[in-house]
Amino acid sequence: MSEREFVIPVGPQHPALKEPESFLFTVDGEVVVDVEPRIGYNHRGIEKAMESRNYIQNLYITERVCGICSNAHQTAYTGAVEEVGGIEIPERAEHIRVFMQELERIHSHLLWLGVAAHEIGFDTMFYYVWRDREIVMDLLEEVSGNRCNYAMATVGGVRRDLPRDRYAKWHKMLDKLAERTNYYIKVASTEKTILERAVGVGYLGKEDMVRLSGCGPNARSSGVPCDIRKLSPYLIYDEIPFEHIVVDNGDVLGQVLVRVLETLEAVKICKWVLDNIPEGEIAVKFNPMQRLPEGEAVYLVEAQRGELIHYTISDGRNMPYRHKIRAPTMGNIPSLVERLKGGYIADIPIVLAGIDPCFSCTDRMAFYDEGKDKAWTWTDGELSKYRKEWYSK
Amino acid sequence: MSNPLTTLVAVLVFPGLSFILTYALWCQWVSRKAAARLQNRQGPLHTGWQGTLQPLADFIKLLVNEDITPAAADKPVFNYSPIAVFAIPLAATFLIPIQSLTSLRGWQPVASFEGDLILVLFLMSVVILAVFLGGWSSGNLFGAVGATRVALMMLAYEIPLSLVAVGPAILAGSLQISKIVDWQVASVNAFIAAPDLWGLAVAGVLFIGVAIYLVCLLAELELRPFDISEAETEIVHGWQVEYSGKKLALLNAGHDVKMVLAAALVTSLFLGGPAGPVLPPVVWFILKTTLCVLVLTNLSVLFARFRIDQMVAGAWKYLAPLAVLQVMAVVALSGVI
Repeated sequence: MSEREFVIPVGPQHPALKEPESFLFTVDGEVVVDVEPRIGYNHRGIEKAMESRNYIQNLYITERVCGICSNAHQTAYTGAVEEVGGIEIPERAEHIRVFMQELERIHSHLLWLGVAAHEIGFDTMFYYVWRDREIVMDLLEEVSGNRCNYAMATVGGVRRDLPRDRYAKWHKMLDKLAERTNYYIKVASTEKTILERAVGVGYLGKEDMVRLSGCGPNARSSGVPCDIRKLSPYLIYDEIPFEHIVVDNGDVLGQVLVRVLETLEAVKICKWVLDNIPEGEIAVKFNPMQRLPEGEAVYLVEAQRGELIHYTISDGRNMPYRHKIRAPTMGNIPSLVERLKGGYIADIPIVLAGIDPCFSCTDRMAFYDEGKDKAWTWTDGELSKYRKEWYSK
Repeated sequence: MSNPLTTLVAVLVFPGLSFILTYALWCQWVSRKAAARLQNRQGPLHTGWQGTLQPLADFIKLLVNEDITPAAADKPVFNYSPIAVFAIPLAATFLIPIQSLTSLRGWQPVASFEGDLILVLFLMSVVILAVFLGGWSSGNLFGAVGATRVALMMLAYEIPLSLVAVGPAILAGSLQISKIVDWQVASVNAFIAAPDLWGLAVAGVLFIGVAIYLVCLLAELELRPFDISEAETEIVHGWQVEYSGKKLALLNAGHDVKMVLAAALVTSLFLGGPAGPVLPPVVWFILKTTLCVLVLTNLSVLFARFRIDQMVAGAWKYLAPLAVLQVMAVVALSGVI
C-alpha cells in the first residue's frame, strides 16, 4: 500500500448494505484500488437444521432462507425432493408454481429498481417504484394470503388453488404493472442524471464475466446468455413463449435494463399462465411420515438473482441426509469485486447493489488460517471438544 | 436605529434571533412537506397542524439525546465547529432587510453599511470552512472524505455564486443590500410607469443570474443533485457522521438558518426584497422566501446525485463561464464602461 492509499470499511454495518457483510476498500483519493470481500456475518446453520426435520417441516425452513426469493427456494427444494421420491406433480400445480415464481420475480426486480435509484440518491424514483410495487404485493397477497413467504409450494404440488373468477381482475393488475414498468424503462434510459451515474459504471466485459462465472441478471447484463429457464427448462418453462433477455452494456445501465425487461417478460408469462392453466388437481398426497427412497437429486431454478441450486441426499428416512443450497449471490461475488475495482467511492453503493446481493442466502462458514494458508473442517465431536476447552480455560 | 431598546428588540426578538429561528423551522417543514408530497409520501403529519411542529420536536429531541465525542476526535475543533456552523449564518441574516420596527412600511435591516453584501458572501464561505474543520476533526474516515468533498465542492460553486451576486450590485451601483433592494423597487416602478426594451433586457439577464444562483445554492445547501458531501448511501452522512445530541441539533438548525439566508439572499438580490404592494414587508419577505424554498425543494427531488468529479467538472465547464458572461452582460447593460 502506497502512502496515498487508505482503507475504507464498508460494512458489516453500512447504509448501502441492507444485510451485514464486510467489504474492505483500499482507495487512492476517490478511486478504488482493491476490494476484499468477507462473508460470514449472517450464517444461520439452515442446512444443518434441515437434516433433523422431515420433508414437510423443511418446506418452511427453505422458505426462510431469504425473504425476497422465498418462493424460488421453495420451488427448488420441492423440485429436488420430488425428483428423489419420483413424485409426479399435477399439471395445474406446475402452472401455479410458475405463476408464483414470475410474480415474485416482478416484485423482486421492482424492489431492486427502487433500491438502485436510492443508491444513486434518486429518492423520488425510489418512492414511485415502490408505490407501484404495491400492485404486485397486493396480487401476491390475494393469491397466497401473504406479502412474502407465500407457503404456496408443497411436496407433491401446491397448497392453494387460483380461483378462476379473479383472473379478469388479475389481468388488469398485470396490465397496470406492465404500463408502469414501460414508464420506468423510459425514465431510466432518458433521465440525464441517471445516465451520468449508470453508463460505463462498474463495467465488466463478456469474457471476464464468463471467466468469473457470474450468473443471473448480473451475467446477462454483460451479454452472457445464462437463463436457466431457457438453458435447462424446469416445470413448464419449455412450453411458455418468452424472450431470453440479454444485453451487452456490461455496466449498471445494463443491469437496470435486464431487470426491467425481465419484469415485462414476467408479466407476459403470468398472463400466459392465467390464459392457459388446465383444470385438475393441485397436489398429490404426501405424508410427513412418508419415507423417500435412497438417492440424490440436483434441482436448478432461475431465481430473481440468478441460478439457484438445491442438492439433496436421501438415505431412506423421512428427512434429508444432507441438503445443500447454493444461492446466486455466491457466484456473483467474484465478478462484483472485478466490477468495483477502478471505480469511484461514490459508485460503490450502486455497483454493490447492482448484483442484487442477498447475503442471508449466501452466507456460510469455513475455517481458514491466513498465516499458515491452511483450511480445514471440523466434525461435531471436534467442535464440542473445542467448546469444552475454550470454556474450561 | 438610534434607540438602544429598539436595537435590542430587533436583534433578539424581531426581525432577529427569535424570528429567524422560528422561520427556519417553518422553512424546514415547508421543505420536508413539499418534498414528501412530490415523492408521493405524506411527510410530517402528527405534531401540530399537518406536522408543522415536527421540526421543533426533532430539535428538542436531539437536544436531550446523548452527546458523544469520539476518542479519536480533535476535541476543541470538533466541539466548537457546530457552534460556528449555527452562529455564522445567523449573524449574516441580520444584514438582510426584512421589516423595520419603527415604521410599518420600512425594511431597514438590523445592521446595514456600504459593502455588507461582501460580508454576507464572506460569511457564507466561512461556514464551509467550519464544516470542513468539523468533519476533518471527527477522526472518522467517512467524516474526512465528506470534509474533503465539502472543500472540493466549494472550489467549484463559490466563484459563480459570488460573480452572479455581484450583478445586481453593479446595476444598483452599490454593494449595500438595502440599496440594491431600493434600486429594484425604483426600477420596477419606473418600468411599470413606462415599459421599455432596456428593462426587459435587464430582467432577462437577471433571470439567467437567478438560475445560476439557484444551482449554486443547491450545492451550498447540500441538496439533492449536490448532496455529495453527506451522501448517506456512500459515506454515511459524510462530515456529520460523528455528531450526535446537542451538536447535531445545532448543525441541523444551522442548516435551516442557512436555507433561510440563501432564500433571503435570492429574494433581496433578485426578487425585490421585502417590497410589495398593500401587505407589510415581513409578509412579502415570508411569501418570497417560502417560494424560493419551494423552488429549491422541487429542484432537489428531481435529480439523482452527481459524483464529485462530475459536479466539479460541470461547475467549471458550464456554470463559471456562464456566470462570467452574465456579469459581462450586466456591465454592458449598466453602461459602466
